Amino acid sequence: MLFAALRDMQWRRRRLVIAIISTGLVFAMTLVLTGLANGFRVEAERTVDSMGVDAFVVKAGAAGPFLGSTPFAPVDLARVTTEPGVDAAAPLATAASTIREGSATRNTTAFGAPEHGPGMPRVSEGRAPSSPDEVAVSSTLGRHVGEDVQVGARILRIVGIVPNSTALAKMPNIFLTTEGLQQLAYNGQPMVTSIGIRGTPRELPQGYQMVARSGGVTDLMRPLQVAVDAITIIALLLWIVAVLIVGSVVYLSALERLRDFAVFKAIGVPTRSILVGLALQALVVTLLAAVVGVILAQLLAPLFPMLVVVPTGAYLVLPVVAIVIGLLASVAGLRRAVAVDPALAFGGP
Amino acid sequence: MGDLSIQELVVEYSSGGYALRPINGLSLEVEAGSLAILLGPSGCGKTTLLSCLGGILRPKSGTIKFAGIEVTRLDGGALAQYRRDKVGIVFQAFNLVPSLTALENVMIPLRAAGMSRPASRKRAEELLNRVNPGDRMKHRPGDLSGGQQQRVAVARAIALDPPLILADEPTAHLDFIQVEEVLRLIRELADGDHVVVVATHDSRILPMADRVVELMPAQESTNRSPETVRLKAGEVLFEQCTMGDLIYIVSEGEFDILRELADGGEELVKVAGAGDYFGEIGVLFHMPRSATVRARTDATVVGYTAQSFRERLGAGGMRDLIEHRELAGEQAGSA
Repeated sequence: MLFAALRDMQWRRRRLVIAIISTGLVFAMTLVLTGLANGFRVEAERTVDSMGVDAFVVKAGAAGPFLGSTPFAPVDLARVTTEPGVDAAAPLATAASTIREGSATRNTTAFGAPEHGPGMPRVSEGRAPSSPDEVAVSSTLGRHVGEDVQVGARILRIVGIVPNSTALAKMPNIFLTTEGLQQLAYNGQPMVTSIGIRGTPRELPQGYQMVARSGGVTDLMRPLQVAVDAITIIALLLWIVAVLIVGSVVYLSALERLRDFAVFKAIGVPTRSILVGLALQALVVTLLAAVVGVILAQLLAPLFPMLVVVPTGAYLVLPVVAIVIGLLASVAGLRRAVAVDPALAFGGP
Repeated sequence: MGDLSIQELVVEYSSGGYALRPINGLSLEVEAGSLAILLGPSGCGKTTLLSCLGGILRPKSGTIKFAGIEVTRLDGGALAQYRRDKVGIVFQAFNLVPSLTALENVMIPLRAAGMSRPASRKRAEELLNRVNPGDRMKHRPGDLSGGQQQRVAVARAIALDPPLILADEPTAHLDFIQVEEVLRLIRELADGDHVVVVATHDSRILPMADRVVELMPAQESTNRSPETVRLKAGEVLFEQCTMGDLIYIVSEGEFDILRELADGGEELVKVAGAGDYFGEIGVLFHMPRSATVRARTDATVVGYTAQSFRERLGAGGMRDLIEHRELAGEQAGSA
C-alpha cells in the first residue's frame, strides 16, 4: 500500500513542504551548533599545532600548559633538553591580555616562545618576533606589519602576521618572544608556563609531568567547556523539536485518515501495510529535511561570528538520526492507526 | 455453496454503561444468487448486522455461515483474509480515499491481495468500464458526482469478485437519477453464487429484492381489551431490548424497573407500585423496551394497547402520556 501513502503525501504536499522546511531548519541549526562546539576545538587544535611541539612539560599537578598552568622558573630547561629522546626544548609562556583598538579593547591570548621555536608559529607575512618589543599577530586582527599595537600596558611593534590564529571563540592570538611575554604578563620575572619539546623523553626531572598536544588543546579550550555543554543541551532540545514537528505532522495525518484506515482494514488490507505507509511518510519527511538541513547549514554557518566547522561525521550521522527521528515521531500516529476499528468505515459522512 | 445462514444472532454492546442488543436472536437464510434487503429505521441494527456479516464486528452469540465458512469462528489473519476474499462492501457515503484517483481506489483491494501493479491497474480499468463507462478514471473522488463515486465504490467492492456483497444505505446520498443507475448495478451483482445484502431504510427499493428482512417488524396494532397479568414475586413481566405492544398499569403489588448493565449487572431505576404505569414509550414509538420489569412482590398489572390506553387517557392524553404525567386520580411510573 505504499502507493496510497505516496499519493497521500502528494495530496497533503503543502503541509509536508512546511514540515520539511521547518524540520530542515531545525536540522541546520543543530548542525551549526555542532559546528560551533567543534569549532572551539578546531581553532584550539590549529593554535597548538602551529606551535610545532610534540608535547609540553609542566609542573606536576598543573592542569595544562596554557590556561590551566602553574608558572615556574625554567631552571630545569637544560635538563629537559638533554633528556634522552628529546630533540629540542624551549621555554613557553601564555597569558590572557588585551589589545587597545582606539577606544575599544579586545581580549587576546598571548603566547611567548623563542624566535626560532619550538613554540613559535610560522608567519605568512613578515617574520617572527626577535626582541621583547616585537609581536606577531593573528591575521584576524586586521593589522599590518610595521604598525604599533598596545597590548596590555605595553606598546609593541608588529613584525609578523600569523594566518587565522585564534582561540576561545575566535579571539585573536598574538606571539611574542618568551622574554617579551614575561615583561607583558609577569613583570619581567623569568617565569614560564611550560617547556615545549620535540621528541619523546624517556623520563622527566622530578616535579614535572608531560602533557600531550591533545591535553594542550583541552587546556586551551577549558574556559569554553560550559558553553560547549550548553550548546550540546540546545542541540539535544533541537533534536526533540524535530521529533515533535515530524511527529505532529504524521499524527495529524493519521487522525485525518482514520476513516481511510478503517476502510482499508474493512476491505482486508493488512494493518502492517497501513503502518508501513505511515512510517514511510515520516521517513520521507525527515530524510528530505536532512537534505534541506545540510544545505541550510552551509548557508547559515558563515553568518556566525565564530568558527563553525561541522564535522564530516555529523553529516554522515544526520540521515541515520533522521531515520530514528522519523520512526520515533511516527509512533503516536502508528498507535492511532493500529487502534482504528474497521467498523468506523460504516459510519455516515 | 454460496448460501448465507444466520442462526440465533445476538449482538450486544455497551452504551453509557447499559447493555444494548440491536440484534436479539435473529435467524435468516439467504440463498446464493439472491438479493436481500435489510429494512428498518435508524438504530434498528442494519449496519450492525452488515458489520457482523463482513467479519468486522463479533456477535455476542449465534452463528453466521457463508459459503461453508463459519464466520463467527474466524480470528485474526483468517478474518482479514475472509474480509478480503469473500466480502465486498459498499459503504454509506462511498468512503473513497480522497487522495487516490477512481482507478487507484479500485486498485486498493487488488494490491492488498498481492496482485502486481500492472495487473491490478488492468483489472481496475475493466471494473470501472463495467460500472462507469465514463472517462473519469483518473479523477479524484472530489471531482466525481455522487453517483459516479458510488459506482467507483461498487467497483472497489467487487474488485476481487467476492461472493458476498454488502451495501450500506447505497441510495442515501444520491438523487433519483443516480439512484436508478446504482440500483440497476447492485441488482446485476446478485447472480450465480453471489449474495447481495443491502441495508436501507428506503422502502422505494424494495421491489428489486428477492428477500426483504424487516429488522424491526411492525407490531400488530389491533385494539383489544385490557388484559390482566398476575405474577409471583421474582417473575419477569418483560425484558430489556424486547419488543412489546402493551402499556401496563400496576393494580396491586410492586415491580422493580431495572436496567441491564454491560458488565452483566443490573441497575434499579425505580420501584413501581399500585397506580404506576410503564412501558409506554416503546409501544408508542415502536422501539424495544428500555428496561426489564420484574415483580418485586406478588403483583398484578393490567396491560393496555396503545389505542385503549389513549382512550383511557382521554383528549390531550397523548401529550400527558409522553410527558409521563400522572393518570387522573392515580400514581404513575415508567419503563
